[in-house]
Amino acid sequence: MTARRVAVTGLGVVSPLGNSVGELWDNLVAGRSAVRRLPPALSQGLRSPIGAPVDFDGKNYFEPPRLRLLDRVSQLALIAAQQAILDSRLRGAPAEREHCGVFVGTGMGGAETTEEGYHTLYAQQSDRIKPYSVLNAMANAPAAWIGIDHGLHGPMLTYSTACSSSAVAVGEAARRIQHGDVDLMLAGGVEAPLVVGVLRAWDAMRTLAAENALDPSTSCRPFAATRTGLVLGEGAAFVVLEEWEHAVARSAHIHAELAGYGLASDLAHITRPTIEGQAKAMQSALSAANLGPQAIDYINAHGTATAQNDAVETAAIKAVFGERAYAIPVSSTKSMHGHLLGAAGALELVITVMSLKRGIAPPTMHLDVPDPACDLDYVSSRARAARLGVAMSNSFAFGGTNAVLILKAGPAAIPL
Amino acid sequence: MNTLDTLVDILTRDYGVAREQIELQATLETLGLDSLSVLELMFKIEDRYQVKITGDTPSDLQTVGDVVRYIDSLVATNSATRDLKPMEASTNS
Repeated sequence: MTARRVAVTGLGVVSPLGNSVGELWDNLVAGRSAVRRLPPALSQGLRSPIGAPVDFDGKNYFEPPRLRLLDRVSQLALIAAQQAILDSRLRGAPAEREHCGVFVGTGMGGAETTEEGYHTLYAQQSDRIKPYSVLNAMANAPAAWIGIDHGLHGPMLTYSTACSSSAVAVGEAARRIQHGDVDLMLAGGVEAPLVVGVLRAWDAMRTLAAENALDPSTSCRPFAATRTGLVLGEGAAFVVLEEWEHAVARSAHIHAELAGYGLASDLAHITRPTIEGQAKAMQSALSAANLGPQAIDYINAHGTATAQNDAVETAAIKAVFGERAYAIPVSSTKSMHGHLLGAAGALELVITVMSLKRGIAPPTMHLDVPDPACDLDYVSSRARAARLGVAMSNSFAFGGTNAVLILKAGPAAIPL
Repeated sequence: MNTLDTLVDILTRDYGVAREQIELQATLETLGLDSLSVLELMFKIEDRYQVKITGDTPSDLQTVGDVVRYIDSLVATNSATRDLKPMEASTNS
C-alpha cells in the first residue's frame, strides 16, 4: 500500500501585511513592515508601544446580531477560513464538506472578551458580565464557528501549544489524511492578542522588542546583533489540506504538497529553547518526508528576534544540516508581520507555500548588524529569486513543543 | 415610544429580527433568541428603562407579549420602589 499524500489546495489569510494572500505576498517581497506604533488606548504603560495589528473591523464583515457572539479571534478566523475554502473551490460541494474536519491552533483564545469581562467586574465594579462571555472567550470557539458556518462534520480540534499551535494543527490535520481518517481538512491558526492585558503581560516578561523611535517599522530584527525581542502581531491563516488523489480527481489547483511534519520537545525550562529539541523536530520532519538534509532549498525560520531563539535556532539548523546549512536561504518574515503566536505557524506555512510557488525567498528585514552567533544566509534586506523545490517551516514555542513542517512544490510552481 | 415599540427597536437592531415577525404572540425562540440572548436582552432593558433587575429573570418569558408585560411591571415596581425607598430605609434601620 502506498502512503497517502497530502495536497495543499486552499489558502487564506487575514494578516498585518494584508487581508488576502496576494496582498500579503506582495508586501513581503517588497520588504514592507506592518510593525507600527499602537494607539495610546492599547500602548499605555508599555515599555515599547509597538505591535503588528491587522487592518480589520468586524463590523464590515458581520451584522450586529452575529458580531455579539464573536470575539475578534473568531472574526479573524472565520474570514481567513472562508478565503481558504473559496480558494480550494470546494464551494458547492456540500457532500464533501460533510466529512471535512477543522483543526485550529490558538494560544490565547478570545482575549478581548476575557479583558472585557474583567473590566466589567473590576474596573466598573459591575456584575453585568455578558452571558456569552464563556462562549466568546473559549479557545475552541474559532474552530466551532468555522465548523458551523461551513457545515464541516468531520473531526474538530483546537491545539494550544503557544507559538507552535497552528503548525501543530496543520501537521496533525495532515496526519489524519495520511492515516486515511479523512480526505479533506481545513487547518490553521488564529490569534488576537492586541488588548491591554495581554500586551502588558508580554511586556512584563521582557521579551518584547524595544521601539526604534526613528522608524518603529524596523523594530523587529531577527538574527541581528541589534535584536531586542519580538513584536506581537495578530491575524489568522488557514489551508485546505486534501488527499492527493482526491485533489487530482476533482482537478483541484494543488499549491504544494505537505510532505513532512515533525515534533520534538525541549523540556529544559518553560521558556528556554534547546538546540537538541529544535534539531530533533527538524530531523523528525525530514524522516517523515523521507528526505535527507540535502533536499531542503529554503527554511522559513521561527526567527522571533529574541536573543535566545535566534542563536539557538541557528545552532539547531547547523546541527541538522552540517556544512549545507550555510548554503540554504533562511528567512524570518516575522521582521515584517511580527509574531502571531498561535497563528504564526500557519501564516508562515502559507508564506512558504507562496515561496515555492513563486520561486522567491522572502527577506529577513532590518538585519543591518550581523550577530556572530547567527552566521547563516538570512536573505537579508531583499527578496531573492531561487529555485525552490522543497522548503521547511519552523515553529518553536514556550512550553517546548517544537513543530516543523516540510513542503514540496506543487505541479504549478514557476520553474526557473 | 410605547413598550412594544422599544422592544421592536432592540430586537430588530441588536438581534437582527425581521420587523414583520414580531408580534405579541411570537415566541422568543422562533425569533432566534436563545436563553443566553434573553439574559442579554435584560441588560439592554435595564439600560433603556434605567431600571435594575434584582434576582433571577422569570423563566416563563416565552413570547414578545410576556416580555412587554414584564418590562411594564418592572417599570411600575421600580418607580414604586423609588417612591417607597425612604420609608423602607427607615423601617429597616
